[in-house]
Amino acid sequence: MKFTATQLSAPDGRRSLGWIDIVALAAILGLLWTILKSSEGMVVHFDASQPLPISTDLVNIPYYAARTLIRMWIAFGFSLLFTFSVGYAAAKNPIARSIILPFMDVMQSIPVLSFLTVFMAFFVSLFPGNLLGPEFASIITVFTGQVWNMAFGFYHSMVTIPQDLHEAATNYRLSSWQRFTKLEVPASMHSLIWNSMMSFGAGWFAVSASEAIAVMGKNVQLPGLGSFMFAAVNQGDGWAAFWAVVTMLFVIIATDQLVWRPLLAWADKFKMELTESAHPPTSWFYNLIRRTYLFQWVTESVLIPLADRYQDIQRRLIAKRTEDLERPHRSTGYFWRVVGILLLVGLVLEVLIGARAGFDAVYHRISFDEIVHIFGLGFVTLGRVLAVTILSTLIWTPIGVWIGSNPRAARVAQPLVQIFASFPVNMTFALVVPLFVIYQIDMNWGCILLIALGAQWYILFNVIAGAMAIPNDLKEAAKNYGLKGWPLWKTLILPAIFPFWITGACTAAGGAWNATILAEVATWGDKTIRATGLGAYIADVSAQPEGTGTAALICGTGVMALFVVVINNLVWRRLYRYAEKRFHLD
Amino acid sequence: MSTELKSYPETSPTKALKIAELRSVSKTFHLGKGRELKVLDQIDLAVHEGELFALLGQSGSGKSTLLRCLTGLTEPSSGQVLCYDKPLVGVNPYASIVFQTFALYPWLTVEQNVEVGLIAKRNLTRAQKSEAVEKAIDLIGLNNYHSAFPREISGGMRQRVGIARALVSEPKILCLDEAFSALDVLTAEGLRGEVVGLWRGASNTLSSIFMVTHNIEEAVEMATRICILFPHPGRLGLILENNLPYPRNSNHPEFQRLMKVIHETITQQALPDLPPEPPPAPGKPVSRARTRMESIPTVGVNQILGLISILHDSPDLDNIYDVSDEIGRDFGETIAIVKAGEILEFVNTPKDEVKLTDLGKRFFESDRQTRKTIFAEQVQKLRLFHIILGYLEVQEEVSGETVMHDIAAALPYENPEKILKTMIAWGRYAGLMDFNANTGMVVIPEDEEEEEEA
Repeated sequence: MKFTATQLSAPDGRRSLGWIDIVALAAILGLLWTILKSSEGMVVHFDASQPLPISTDLVNIPYYAARTLIRMWIAFGFSLLFTFSVGYAAAKNPIARSIILPFMDVMQSIPVLSFLTVFMAFFVSLFPGNLLGPEFASIITVFTGQVWNMAFGFYHSMVTIPQDLHEAATNYRLSSWQRFTKLEVPASMHSLIWNSMMSFGAGWFAVSASEAIAVMGKNVQLPGLGSFMFAAVNQGDGWAAFWAVVTMLFVIIATDQLVWRPLLAWADKFKMELTESAHPPTSWFYNLIRRTYLFQWVTESVLIPLADRYQDIQRRLIAKRTEDLERPHRSTGYFWRVVGILLLVGLVLEVLIGARAGFDAVYHRISFDEIVHIFGLGFVTLGRVLAVTILSTLIWTPIGVWIGSNPRAARVAQPLVQIFASFPVNMTFALVVPLFVIYQIDMNWGCILLIALGAQWYILFNVIAGAMAIPNDLKEAAKNYGLKGWPLWKTLILPAIFPFWITGACTAAGGAWNATILAEVATWGDKTIRATGLGAYIADVSAQPEGTGTAALICGTGVMALFVVVINNLVWRRLYRYAEKRFHLD
Repeated sequence: MSTELKSYPETSPTKALKIAELRSVSKTFHLGKGRELKVLDQIDLAVHEGELFALLGQSGSGKSTLLRCLTGLTEPSSGQVLCYDKPLVGVNPYASIVFQTFALYPWLTVEQNVEVGLIAKRNLTRAQKSEAVEKAIDLIGLNNYHSAFPREISGGMRQRVGIARALVSEPKILCLDEAFSALDVLTAEGLRGEVVGLWRGASNTLSSIFMVTHNIEEAVEMATRICILFPHPGRLGLILENNLPYPRNSNHPEFQRLMKVIHETITQQALPDLPPEPPPAPGKPVSRARTRMESIPTVGVNQILGLISILHDSPDLDNIYDVSDEIGRDFGETIAIVKAGEILEFVNTPKDEVKLTDLGKRFFESDRQTRKTIFAEQVQKLRLFHIILGYLEVQEEVSGETVMHDIAAALPYENPEKILKTMIAWGRYAGLMDFNANTGMVVIPEDEEEEEEA
């Protein structure tokens, strides 16, 4: 007999189909139709010399939005695959780990837009005369923009699974697959979804930038919201630009509400703590889905019988084999080891060949003076990135602390800030650049504002989170001792938010480097305004024809990556370690 | 609960089949940076069918490692693990473990958690599985909790889930890894009785229990055979048979006798009555330090001060069992604190007595500054501290890593990190050293001179 206390049972456990199920079914079918209809456009003829016409007619916006979304989700699918396979390998195999972790660390430091040019050239030649080439290039760019964060997060939660949970799995003789599905994925689920949400947010920037790009002297445009914006900006059509921004916002909010919030609400049960959350995340859409009987019906009458059938077949196969099934299979180990070694050798060869080709391309075409020049530009851009970080910190720290100290304000502000952070910064340029053109503002200073439009939100977001995490007893003690003003900030608030600020500032700086490639050269109508800097340099050489352009691009990108890696290691990581040691609140 | 009882061997258990056996098993852990720690040394031990075997040891004595070797979770560095006289390959299929931390999967309901115990049994149908789960849940009294998540239920209920999960796969031997020590006293007492009942009941296939514990009374109350594991490195001490009938009464003379024997054995091992030190050889410089390199128990200064205070305030507290009761710590911890007092010469422990020495009395009656001076003098007598003090005589500071390396060389069976932590705590109180957490350096305290002048 089964009794379940009422408070423990699932809400509204209905056993029949209702109107909600009809709506859900219709929604699923509608979604499938949209995906099919919109993806038809992916396999059309494409000629680089004659770019696809992108209309700025508002009627086309929904279609373009669908195309952009499909790109995002395909890229996200690849990211998930990569996350599971590579994150798993890194967590399980020390040799794989010693290669994968440094590789991912460098990859996440390289500004994603510099990959775009390379991918575009590669995939256009792979699918000549077909739009699939640029489509793939765009998708892979988005993938590179979002995957590292997810893979690192998955790896990290894999290796921090408590030892006793692993031992229980070993004791009950779970197979590797069962351990993966029953322990390792659930244990990482919460961080995986959180990181996916963040990465997906970062993906909007990559997708909108990749839809319209000048590569090797050719213009490549893909139907999508980003290219719609690009077309609007080129024509100086403010109205179309405005609607593009609104649609983008709508798409981001809809994704957040219909996908990420429900997932977060669902994933709350995967948290490791054995205590209940004080404020579990809620989602109206999740509650709605839970009320539908449709999914439960599919599980009970389709999936479970299928699984049973599969198990039945498996059981018969096992029964035929008389050997003891408890015995571990050692022979498979060798097979995978050989596969691993072959893979490793292939990778090393590939890297060597690539490095050789890159070196050749650079060696004959780029002079030493040019490299010095690039480094000089790098320092100019570094100055801008620093300015953005410092200014955003000065402006947003007090505001963030105020918001974080008011739980009600924080509950409204935090998701909003997160949406602003997801919004592709290049699409906001259209709202500011016309003013620069009209008032003839020097782009060398103006582009700091453009960069800040995207980067600042990471700082605000993390400062709010930090202020919310200050334990109440510390605040009460401060009040009790009459701490106010600067002493209060110095002794409590600044140390408490410091670790959070570092996370935010580091992310903001990374985003800022990325944004410079688009922000240091801006166009409005027929006017192009530019700043001096490494971002502008990379943007310029991307558009140049193959040969000199490629060489300069490799150098420019390399220098930018070098700047990011060096600063990450010299500044952010040290600060973070220091903060973890000194200011960690438990 | 079934009233029908399994007959457990009244005679010597050696005639029964050996479910799991360790043959001269040693285990060494690599602590990184080339440091090694030997936790088990030449263990010979067998768990027979029908017995309830308790392995008793202090924390850090290697008893959990022994359990992991026995169940196949870890491979021993040397020696053999046998299962029914055959070498064990992989995980022992007859053993299920109940963990101190429960080790439940927080995202699975009670029912799903119990089902994890059956996952590997792929020859069962869904119906057979759910029947077995139901039976296990019923057996351990978890009805009405099927769809609760672990975070929604109390610690005692969580451990019941752990036991149900262990029993559902019908193991021959149940391994309890400090299974009751994370529970409150009353819950633990109740659950202990139920586990003994499960083992004696005929309603399941469970034949033996192998339990690991630091709680002496728990072992005497439950086990048919008790084995004491001595620490640093773990090696087997006394083995006792316990044929008292269940349910056991702690006032029974045999119960009392067993408790006493165990207490005395542990006390003798930890606080031996050693002959006095030989006088220094003529011609050699007279060192204030002892000749023997002795480890120190990893207890804090405040615990030593508390012990001295208690002994001073209640002079009639004169044996270690009463002290243990008075301070409300388990026996192993009490021993460690008393031992710390002893090597600092504040207390004396002839047999199982605990007495404050004259120095201890003088220390207690002194003011803060004098206490510090006395403590410093006593600490300086310990050879172990000369590792650090020797460095600090010739240089301003020494890295913790270097010190740990030296400790590891001098005391190969101790965890150097814990020892260093304790040394720094004692050294800080004595005003002899300080530790900078940012640089990882042990340093001479800056304000030493000022304070001495004051």
